[in-house]
Amino acid sequence: MPTPLEEEIVALFDQMRERLLRYLLSTGVPVHDGEEIIQEVFLALFRHLQRGKSRRNLRAWVFQVAHNLSVKHYLAKQRDRQNLGGSGAALVDDSFVDQAPNPEDQLSRNQRHARLQSVLRALPEQDRRCLSLRAEGLTYREIGRVLDMSLGAVALSLARSLARFARAEER
Amino acid sequence: MLSKDSHLSDQELLLAADGGLPPVRAEEVASHLAACWTCRVRKGEIEEAIRDFVQAYRGDLDPLLPSPAGPRALLKAQLAEMTAEMASPTQSWRAWRSHVATLRYAGAALFVAFLGLGIYFSPAFPSRRGLHVVPMSFPEPSLTPGVAVAVNPEQVCRSTRPKNRIVPASLQRRVFEEYGIAGAEPRAYEVDYLITPALGGADDIRNLWPQSYSSAVWNARVKDALEDRLHDLVCDGRLDLATAQRDISSDWIAAYKKYFETDRPLQ
Repeated sequence: MPTPLEEEIVALFDQMRERLLRYLLSTGVPVHDGEEIIQEVFLALFRHLQRGKSRRNLRAWVFQVAHNLSVKHYLAKQRDRQNLGGSGAALVDDSFVDQAPNPEDQLSRNQRHARLQSVLRALPEQDRRCLSLRAEGLTYREIGRVLDMSLGAVALSLARSLARFARAEER
Repeated sequence: MLSKDSHLSDQELLLAADGGLPPVRAEEVASHLAACWTCRVRKGEIEEAIRDFVQAYRGDLDPLLPSPAGPRALLKAQLAEMTAEMASPTQSWRAWRSHVATLRYAGAALFVAFLGLGIYFSPAFPSRRGLHVVPMSFPEPSLTPGVAVAVNPEQVCRSTRPKNRIVPASLQRRVFEEYGIAGAEPRAYEVDYLITPALGGADDIRNLWPQSYSSAVWNARVKDALEDRLHDLVCDGRLDLATAQRDISSDWIAAYKKYFETDRPLQ
């Protein structure tokens, strides 16, 4: 029989798993690894609550732990690439952002989408993470907590990215 | 106070659109927007960019999201496991006594195995719950058909996920129950993924089966070699991922013979 805390964790998993996984995929984490990271996040949440620690803004807490684990994943991949003799220059591994759309793909997309993808490809990683978190409904304050940025820096990053999109539309 | 000749920054327009400005400043911005066409147009452009981004973001990523059923079941099993581990000493004592009882079961099961039930488990494997059987080298298709998540070869090949993960003890117990060997000694079996996670196998009870360590020929080490072989073939572009998943889940021994071109394990 599950304990009330187990049930609470599973209910939070039901609420947040899709949004967390989408965010992780948007940062280039493969589906398998994303699912694994999410398991780790909710087991960590279980331990956190079992120890009687703060329940304040669990949404931001969960995203923050997922983000930290995804950075660890990112660094592990970077090490793997360096061990394999890669230059380590192309660190961003994008599953959301198309790597290099082939002509067939390009034809199948409308021009607007293609323009958006090219802007996204050019964005710094932190700006893309800000955008993804905002698309997942996090407030500026929550994004700042997850990515360890000030409120002003979050607003500036989002404004900079959206201005790039808007400029691309004007062309 | 905003001057009529100055314009709002993108940052402020965005904060205004997201309701992130302090109330006093929000009022000033609202009255400026009411009077300034340029800023209103810019605000509209930013809102349009937000719409475009959200559409692309959801449209590209939502189709990649697998069903939550398997990961949910795994989380529940892991939570139950953690709760059990943190149980009181009294409960630990009960668990230990239960463990002693399972050792007796396992001894009996292994004895039956040595008496010669065969190294290869019959395809006519009983599938009813509660029936005590000794699975050896082959899973029961009705219980373990093999389940994969929606991944493409690129994702499989660049995954840093460990090839074989430890299945939580509570999930192992559920697998034993499914196979009618609830009282068996866990150490006598490896609860194995039929389709390995390295080939997109899911964390799902329908992808797990108890593989006996006592099998002398077609054992877990041989299956590991097949998994490595299939992974290499898929990542070298010499084998389709779906074919690899189908072959390993329908009859892994036949797949071994096919991909190693041998009738016996190479080691």
